[in-house]
Amino acid sequence: MIKQNKRKIKLLTKTTSIYLVFTFITFFFSTWFLYNETQEYIDRELEKRYNWSEERVKHDLNKYGKLRKKRSSIKINLVSSMPDKSIYPIYSDTLIINDDSERELLYRKKTTYIENNGSVYKAELLQDITDFAKLQEDIFEGLIPAFVILALVIVLFNFFLSGYFFSPFNKILKQMKLYKVGKGTEIPTVETSTAEFSIMQDLLVGMVRRTENEYTTLKEYTENMAHEIQTPFTVIRNKTENLISDDNIMKSHAASVKTIYNEINHLSKLGTALNLLAKVEHGEFSNNVDIKTKDVIVKHIEGISELVELKQLNIELNLDDNHLLNMDPILFDIVIRNLLNNSINYSTNVGPIKITTKEKRISFSNYGPPLDFAEDKIFSRFAKSNNSVKSVGLGLAIVKKICESNGLDLNYFYSEDQHHFQILNSE
Amino acid sequence: MKILIIEDNIDLLKDLAAFLTNYGYNCEKAETYSQALEKIEIYHYDLFLIDITLPDGNGLDLISKIKVKENKSGIIIVTAKNAIEDKIKGLDLGADDYLTKPYHKEELNARLRSIIRRNKFEGNNEIEFNEIKINLLTAQAYVNLKQITLTKKEYDLLLYFIDNKNRLITKESIAEHLWGDHFDQFDSFDFIYNHIKNLRKKIINAGGKDYIQSMYGMGYKFKDEDQ
Repeated sequence: MIKQNKRKIKLLTKTTSIYLVFTFITFFFSTWFLYNETQEYIDRELEKRYNWSEERVKHDLNKYGKLRKKRSSIKINLVSSMPDKSIYPIYSDTLIINDDSERELLYRKKTTYIENNGSVYKAELLQDITDFAKLQEDIFEGLIPAFVILALVIVLFNFFLSGYFFSPFNKILKQMKLYKVGKGTEIPTVETSTAEFSIMQDLLVGMVRRTENEYTTLKEYTENMAHEIQTPFTVIRNKTENLISDDNIMKSHAASVKTIYNEINHLSKLGTALNLLAKVEHGEFSNNVDIKTKDVIVKHIEGISELVELKQLNIELNLDDNHLLNMDPILFDIVIRNLLNNSINYSTNVGPIKITTKEKRISFSNYGPPLDFAEDKIFSRFAKSNNSVKSVGLGLAIVKKICESNGLDLNYFYSEDQHHFQILNSE
Repeated sequence: MKILIIEDNIDLLKDLAAFLTNYGYNCEKAETYSQALEKIEIYHYDLFLIDITLPDGNGLDLISKIKVKENKSGIIIVTAKNAIEDKIKGLDLGADDYLTKPYHKEELNARLRSIIRRNKFEGNNEIEFNEIKINLLTAQAYVNLKQITLTKKEYDLLLYFIDNKNRLITKESIAEHLWGDHFDQFDSFDFIYNHIKNLRKKIINAGGKDYIQSMYGMGYKFKDEDQ
């Protein structure tokens, strides 16, 4: 599986941010466009008015040789020659205080030269552009607050309404989170008018139904395999035991009867072990309590002390009185029994079997030759050493499964002629 | 000693009945829940062997019915499920013991004997087998009235042998009886041999006869010489 380290952002925060950025860009360009448009409009309008003034000046000069009426907005002076034409007309904006209202008014002055009947006049034409400037200002003053208000509305919408709109989604998510296979959980219908959420819910319900069905079928199959065959096993074994008790049969068929008997025992144990594995996998043991590990370990060691003695082994305990582990007691019993059995089965009497509980760790170690198969296969089902005792080969796989289902790490390593098994509580 | 065996597998039922009849029990058979219920209501039994998975009902329900009528009867429940809840429920309802399939017949016999001893022989907690005597209360064994010191396992083994005398008991059966869940080790057979060797030695040294015979490398028989 590819690990994704990217920081996760909420969908709504993501869409809101992107929406805000796009709104900003849209506003920016709209403002820029509007500003340019008004600028062009103003320029065109002014030019029209200047042209009109110029025509008036030319008309007056032609007809009267001077301006017919004195205007504050038109000033002409006779000059000796036409200056460099390329730099004219010159435009400049200037603030002038209006005599009547004493308001500051903004004017644009066009300085140009007019030729009339061989004479050259310098003309300064003034146009009041206060209103135009105001118009441009208004564009800014209107659009910027509009953007700010829109942005605020979007953020507030996100903040207040997301809870409302996304509540069906969150409810469905919660159901997904709470769903546990095999518990027969019904998925309650979440009312939603949102098409996507409704589709998601339908898919979830369908998926849960399929999973439950498949789980039940598989569970029934495993349970039937494990349980129902135990009665035939009992019958076969009893019949075999009858044969064993019959001297006439045993005299001629001892080897065959012995094989049948051993194999039926093996099969029966296999069934029991596989059933246990399936039960652990299905989470059927969930009566978790804090277990005083020392008591359980000591009890198990007492139970097998004779075996240990007969095998001339030695068990060295280093158990913390207050060491606790949260687990179903039945499962912990199985873990300890299997690890202990494993240690006893494979230990040589070079040194002691050591069992230690400390802080968040339970460890078992025993002396013995290294494995004759890959270390990472040790917890696999039916991973057995070639010269191993005739065991079912599921003991450590069961321990591993139990540890996994309880959030514990189970490690194996070989060092200094010893096999080490460690249960670590990483929480 | 009248016993009702409730088991839906006919082969197993016949086999168990034959086995227990051989040990002097008076066996009655029931294949279904309804058959069992009928017999429970009409007749008296000292012991009940109940398979809890029956085709037409749950064997656990029979326990309470038995308890109402025959409070002193012993009940052993048999389950193929190895489900802890069933065991606990059965014992809570009043069953005396439980066995998980597949079980050894000798184990069943030993459990039945144990219940009978508990229920019937109050005050007389002794078992005798020729010159061997076992006091169940003190867990002590005597040969020719002379106490022999046995380890716990040797004591259990002797009792198991006497309960199942004159019958070949396989090593598996012995190992399972002595070590229960810890028996998942086939080399424990060597330990059985050790225990048997020691037990035999202790009985002989105390003047007892050698009753333990090894049979075909598969198990042992505690054989009364007269038989």
